[in-house]
Parts: sequence; C-alpha cells; structure tokens
Amino acid sequence: MNSDLTQNTVVEAVELKKTYQLGKVPVEALRGVNLKVERGEFVCILGPSGSGKSTLLNLIGALDKPTSGKLFIDGIDLSTLNDNQLTSLRLKIGFIFQFFNLIPRFTALENVELSMSIAGIGRDERRKRAEQLLEDVGLKDRMNHKPAELSGGQQQRVAVARALANNPRFLLMDEPTGNVDSKTAREVIALIKKLNQDGVTIMLVTHDQNLSREAKRTIHVMDGEIASDLVN
Amino acid sequence: MKSRDVFSFSFSAIKLRKLRAGLTILGVVIGIAAVVALLSISQGLQTTITNQVEKGLGANTLVITSGTGGILGGASGGLSGGSLVPSAPSSLSGANSAPKLYLNYTNQIQALSPDITAVVAVVQQSGFIQNGDKVIQISGGIVGVNFSEYASTYGNTFKAEIGAIPLSPSDNDIVIGQRIYDPTLNGTTFANVNDEVTIICTNTTQLPYTNQTYTAKVVAVLPKIGGFQISGPSDTGVYIPITQASSFFGTDEASSIIVTLKNSDSTRITSVSKLITNYFDNQVSVTSAADVSATVSTLTSTLDLFLGGVAAISLFVAGIGIMNIMIVSLIERTREIGILKALGMKSRTVLTIFLGESAIIGLVGAVSGIILGWVLSEGVALAFSGGSSGITLSPILTPQVALLALGFGVGVSAVFALYPAWRASKLRPVEALRYE
Repeated sequence: MNSDLTQNTVVEAVELKKTYQLGKVPVEALRGVNLKVERGEFVCILGPSGSGKSTLLNLIGALDKPTSGKLFIDGIDLSTLNDNQLTSLRLKIGFIFQFFNLIPRFTALENVELSMSIAGIGRDERRKRAEQLLEDVGLKDRMNHKPAELSGGQQQRVAVARALANNPRFLLMDEPTGNVDSKTAREVIALIKKLNQDGVTIMLVTHDQNLSREAKRTIHVMDGEIASDLVN
Repeated sequence: MKSRDVFSFSFSAIKLRKLRAGLTILGVVIGIAAVVALLSISQGLQTTITNQVEKGLGANTLVITSGTGGILGGASGGLSGGSLVPSAPSSLSGANSAPKLYLNYTNQIQALSPDITAVVAVVQQSGFIQNGDKVIQISGGIVGVNFSEYASTYGNTFKAEIGAIPLSPSDNDIVIGQRIYDPTLNGTTFANVNDEVTIICTNTTQLPYTNQTYTAKVVAVLPKIGGFQISGPSDTGVYIPITQASSFFGTDEASSIIVTLKNSDSTRITSVSKLITNYFDNQVSVTSAADVSATVSTLTSTLDLFLGGVAAISLFVAGIGIMNIMIVSLIERTREIGILKALGMKSRTVLTIFLGESAIIGLVGAVSGIILGWVLSEGVALAFSGGSSGITLSPILTPQVALLALGFGVGVSAVFALYPAWRASKLRPVEALRYE
C-alpha cells in the first residue's frame, strides 16, 4: 500500500458497480458510479431508501467489495488489496453509524480508546488522546459512563470522538442524526459542521434536511446511479 | 493490537457473562479434577505397592523357587501357597519335572558369586497353633528358618519386640508374628512369650492324612510389620528352627531359598539371577523385587490408561460445553465483531480474542481442577487407608501430571473454541453490522 498523504483526491470511484444476490434474484444496488471527493469537502449523499446510497458508503468505507469498477482511496486501488490490507485501511477511515455502535460494556473513554488500541497505540498515549477528544466533543464529565448511561446525542458524540481517534483521512456517516431527537440533532449537526471547518473531510448519508443543508456538496443517488451532483 | 490489549478485551467479555463463564469453567474443573484425582491415586497406589514389594521382598534379595512359575505364578506352590492351600508335597508332585530344591544347596549358591552375601533356605507348611483350648490357623505358614541367618537377612522385621530371638535356638523354640500374638489387634493375646503351645501340621505325604503335633515354647514376638508380605517375615507367621522344620515336616527340601546381595544395583540383580537360573538349568525361578515391581507397574499403567480414558471423556464433554458457549457468544456478539472489524481489527485478532476467552476459561478451570483433584485424591486416600490392611495410600501428584492437566485444560478449551473463533473471524463487517 502506497498511501500518498499529500494527495488531494481522497476518494475516487470509477464505474463502480455492486450487485447483490437476493435469493435467486440479482439486485443491482450500484450501476456504475463515478465520483471524486477532494480533501476538506463536506459531501452529503441523498436519495430514497433502496437507491444504493448506503451501499456506496459501505464501499467507500472498505467494508464491502464492489462487483466491478475501481475505487481509489488516497490513490490506492482497493481491488489490489487483500482482506487484511483492507482492514488496515479502515484504521484510516472514521465511521459514524446511525445506531452509534458503541461497545456497551465499555465506558465512553474505553470506547474511544478501543479504536486506538486496535491501531496498536500504547495505553498512556491513547488514554491521553481519548480524554482530549472527549473533552473536544463536550463530554469531559461523562467519560467514565457506559453507553447505556448516556443520551443518544452523547453516544453519538462518543462515536465521533472514536472515529476521530486515529486521525482518519475522512469521516463516513450513515444517518448520524437518524436516531436522536431534533434538539440533539442540532447539537450533532453543529459538531459535524465544526469538524469540517477544522479541515476534516466528511461524507455522509442522510434524510435530515437540516443536515444536508449544511453540506457544501450534495449528491443525489437514484436507482444505483448519481442523478445529480451539486455544489451549494 | 498489542497482546495485552487483546487479553484484556477477552477478559472483559468473560466478565460480562459471569454465571455462564462460571458454569463453563465448572465443566473444565470437573474434567481436570477427575484426571488429577485418578492419576494421583493410581500413582500413589503404584508407589505404595512398589514400596510394599521392596519392603516385603527386600530390594536386594532374590527368591529362588523350584519350577518356572515364580513366586507370583503360584505354580510352584512355594511361598504364596502358605495360607489356605497346603503346599504340594514333593512326593505327590514328584511326577512333574520340577527339580527339588534341597536345603543343603545354600552353600553351592553362596559360592556362585561374590556379590551374594547370604543364602537362607526356607521350609514352609501350613498349619495350626493351639494354646490351651484356643486354636488358630497360621495363615502366614509355619516357616522353618535358620534364626540367625534369617535375622541378618531381614534385620528390620525379624527382630523381637517382646522376648528375644535366640541365635542358636533349641528345637522347640518358636517366634510368632504380631497377629499370632494378638490376632484381633485389640490387646487380647493368643499366646505370650514363654507360653507352651502346640504346633499342628497335617502330613499329606501319605494317606490317610494325619495330624502331627509337637509342643513348642514361644520365645519372641515380632513387631507389627503390616502390609502384605511376599517373602520374609509376616505378621501371621510362626517361625521355627530349620532343623526342627526339616524333621517335623519330614523333608529336606526348601520351599524357597532367599539370596541376599551386596546391594540393590539392578545389573547385579540381573546377572546373579541369570547365574542362578543357569546353575539350575533353567529349572528354578528367581524373583526379585524389581521383577514384581515391573509386573505391578504394568498393571497400574493399564489402570492409568483406563482411568485416563474415563477422565478424558469428562474433558471432552467440557470441551463441547466450551464450544457451545463460544458459539452462543459468537452469535450474541456478531454486531460487536462487525464494529471491531469496521474499526480496523484484523481477522486474526478477532480469532485471537475468541481463543483467548476460551483459553482463560481453560486456564482458570485447569488450575482450580488441579487443586480440587488434589483435595479429592487426599480425601479418597483418607477414606481407603488404614483399616486392617495396614496399608497407607498416599496419592502422588507429580509436576508432570499437574502440567499435563494444565496443558489439557487450556488445550481442550482452545481446540474446541477453534471453530467458533474461526467463524467469528470470517464474519463480513457489512453483514455483521446489519445483524440485530
């Protein structure tokens, strides 16, 4: 893997296709997507359910492999990587999920530490950084609480801190406000906006218009293809 | 991921399901405890028997009997025939080819090797002893020996606890074992030193069988010897001078000849044994403590194998228990595995975490099992020791057995967790994350 960190294009998709086998019926989730995302962008992917937007996000996140077409992350062709290399690549991608996906038995601090511990960072260093990150997202006094003791918004902020822990090249968010109330959603949106202002590249899938309005670029996906790609 | 972090992750998963992990550990504990207890007891048994054999036979003594059966073979009608079955008298068994072992062979045997320090001939018959109106059977046999030679061969056991053993006894002097002196071991003595008793022996050399008797005087009582005796003094024996035995039994044949060597060096034992069998043209059996121990250890290894097999089954069941709980854990934690993989955890690490979990279960189970097994074996030993046999069984837990048990506990756990761990590592992140 020859990662070029000076590369400005963080994600590039060429004729990306993904076909699922649903029973005996093949379902074409993506039918040839071409896309380029530059460093520092804030891209919002919109589309009705079943349009393939989540599939696109999973492919960009190296969680899934395309059926055909090419995907480059930081200039690396993902099709040349084996499973282990793909896994290592994910260390450099920050995921934020609709259902937070925190480990319930771990405290907020331990959850943030987890991604760094997977990356092999030593205990003292990762603790310090996790504390700093939680402080940055405004959870300084909730660090030792378990997810069940935190509100939805607080859990999502822990997830953001976790996603940022390994200094990712970009953040991928799947409906980050999909599972919180509107007041909390506003907090989460403000946080995302601030992250982008600080230079973090963000790609997200959402139905939340309050969130999509903040994006600098909006991509509509329809029936597995990009219907429109607008810069706000 | 650092191995310490992998370990603490495995541990946190176990801590979450304490009862379940506890029950799984219990399965391992029972399996390992069974292995350890059974093997320690069997090992202790073997050592006890070997010690008894060496004590009873003497590590540096050889027993020569006529015929090829050996003293454990029973064919010779030698020492082992002493209790209930009368020794086959020479005239009746004269038809078979077993050569006669005469009392006066001792000098010839003595001359065979400089390694031989003493040769004692023993004449033995079954019989009864009567004191007043009380008669008891002499289950250890009426044993005719040269008192001074016998005492020098069996210095530890052929010594007087009460009275004194005369070096040149008169014909009617006898020495009795502890359980002739006090048959029930409760202080009610049958005969005391200086008592006049009647020795009764059935003459089977001619029909009709007749009882022969003579009046003897008890001069000494042996200390309590305990255990079982293969040769040498026993608690249930009555010892009379060899000359008296020869004339009383009407024979000049020895039931057995006991050869004492300079030491218990095994090559010396083997070479002298060979020398003697060759001298008698392979018509006699020479038995040493080592021979008997070897027979015993063959028996106990078979026992070990059997017990080990039983214990292995319980370990196998424990292993299935582990596999079961790991599969349940895998299903419950599918989403967690998806998260870990999405965060960049390698399949190998996921595998290690699952194997680590079961290895911890195995380790805790094995250590507890070894302790429990040891306690159990001590308990069993306590329950079976003592009693009239006088044999104390002390279980032996060798470091090898402990290590083996530890290895098995962890090994079985890891092996049975391989499949669930492999399945966990192969989960695809997208599907795992979708799992509810």
